[in-house]
Amino acid sequence: MSHSRAVSHKVRRRNFCLGGASALAAPFISRRSLARSGGELVFVSWGGSYHNAVRKGLVEPFMAETGIHVTMVDTPDLAKVKAQILSGNVEWDIFDSPGPLAATGSREGYWEALDTTHFPLSELSVQPTHDLAPFCLTAGGIAYDPREFPDGRHPRTFAEYFDTKRFPGLRTLRNRVSETLEVALLADGVAPDQLYPLDVERGFRMLDTIKPSIIKWVEATTQTITMLEAGEADFSYSYASRVQAAQASGGVSIDFSFAQTLNFLEYLSILKGAPHRDEAMQFVAFALRADRQAATMDMLVNRPVNEKAMGMLSERVQRWMPDINPGRNALVNDAWWAQNYSGLERRFKEWTLS
Amino acid sequence: MTTPAMTRDRTGALCTIGPAAVFMVGIVGIPLLYIFYVSFNGLHFSFYAYVTLLSSRLFFQSLWSTFETSILATVLSVLLGYPVAIHLARQSPRRRALMMILVLMPFWTSILVKSYAFTIILGRRGLINSALSYLVGHKVALPLLFNKFAVVIGMANYLVPFVIFPVLASLLAIDPALGRAATLMGAHPLRVFRQITLPLSLPGVIAGASSTFIISLGFFVVPALLGGRHDVMLANLVDFYTRETLDWSAAAAIGMCLLAIIGLCGVMAATLRKVRRA
Repeated sequence: MSHSRAVSHKVRRRNFCLGGASALAAPFISRRSLARSGGELVFVSWGGSYHNAVRKGLVEPFMAETGIHVTMVDTPDLAKVKAQILSGNVEWDIFDSPGPLAATGSREGYWEALDTTHFPLSELSVQPTHDLAPFCLTAGGIAYDPREFPDGRHPRTFAEYFDTKRFPGLRTLRNRVSETLEVALLADGVAPDQLYPLDVERGFRMLDTIKPSIIKWVEATTQTITMLEAGEADFSYSYASRVQAAQASGGVSIDFSFAQTLNFLEYLSILKGAPHRDEAMQFVAFALRADRQAATMDMLVNRPVNEKAMGMLSERVQRWMPDINPGRNALVNDAWWAQNYSGLERRFKEWTLS
Repeated sequence: MTTPAMTRDRTGALCTIGPAAVFMVGIVGIPLLYIFYVSFNGLHFSFYAYVTLLSSRLFFQSLWSTFETSILATVLSVLLGYPVAIHLARQSPRRRALMMILVLMPFWTSILVKSYAFTIILGRRGLINSALSYLVGHKVALPLLFNKFAVVIGMANYLVPFVIFPVLASLLAIDPALGRAATLMGAHPLRVFRQITLPLSLPGVIAGASSTFIISLGFFVVPALLGGRHDVMLANLVDFYTRETLDWSAAAAIGMCLLAIIGLCGVMAATLRKVRRA
């Protein structure tokens, strides 16, 4: 997962008060239904610094504003969602997950249809689907050590990443077919807006060409950074937010190329049969509000999906926001992966073994 | 016919192992039966999970790699752990307790942190390669990381305590008089080891090796972090089917295959021992 270690940052009062237009359902009604169903709204999200950012930017202001108590649980696990739904014992309300998980859950019918009445739809750069609300956007791309490889000596685009003659050196790619196949196709010159449906054969042929230069097919996201730090890889496929966090922690010479990125979404969804369905809808609407998006993403260093929030980000964070306009960058199509992931992932794993 | 002694025996057994037996049936037996049931696709009975697996190259390659890695890691752990156990057995109880804490140290460190540490030790510019480069006088970059070697080292680092403790227990159970008697009769220390210490500690070695091997079969993080692209383990596949594709039948079928293979190994080992004794 590409979640950054964010620098702690106080929620700004100004942001806190902004953007009340995307209003809330009447809090007392919610509170009454919450009391009836018993317990608290359960929000499943990621641990570590991601947890802190979401807690300060989203959960605490939500509790203050609505009086609804939210319990945070770490690590969205789709297998647990399946178990809860199969056993009819649903304990979680809101699920915070990256595209592949969210879309698989969608295919399996694990999410409630979203009530978008209170969503600030006109402000969103990506529209919600019937059961998935895009929450933020992460950029995958090329990380390198600028001290060792100054400008001109490191690949900037995916085509250059695959050009091992012009830019000799060891590289990393992820040990999964999603993202990797897109990167290969972009490297081969496929136009970003014509990626899908992916030309699988062409992608694998392209991957064949780079296989000998891949020192590590990375399983854990942290390794996309540590491989560079330790000098095990010369260039690494990593994430803007991760690189920013590594830079901010100091002592590491590392940078990220925004010349071309593969962007992908993180989603919020509500479990089918969630015990606090209405409050959960209210929470998701709250999470999409410009002020909440700005406060949270200022810490996460992911791109807000609410475009109005872009202007509210601090300058420090602005420079780390990927471009989402059609051009060189591509957006991962999660619906396509939901249909094709399991078969292709098996093929990809067999391919890496051969 | 039941004698009062037998009845007493049975009551005793019920009281001592009864609770554990009930617990194990509940916590292992029933879930295992459920996994067996799921592997045949539950109510919609079907062999598809097994058919898919048995026709999948990925499954057989992972299976082979899992066994190869587990055997290597077990052998290395026994080779490293046995001498440590011998050393511990010779210490005073106080010193031994202190040293046992050192043995347990690797358990208390996060596997992510350790894998990073191994990168620093085994890497291209790691301690070993740097030291060798200095000694040889030119740049050395032995491929020590992201291959089976690194995986086996990383696993043994975790597994050694599982060998040390049972072996130590066996060694401490040996009557010291045996060794003294042999020495008095003029036996060389090596001979004492070969004819007394080693055979009498074998139960501990077997216990340690088999638990190490079984734990190895389920390893997941170390191969993922330190291994190369050929080092896929079955646990990774189980994870893939359980959490990514939500195909629990396939995941359960892998578990069943693994269980069957281990069961078969156990039966073979038991038969072998019986044949040897006969």
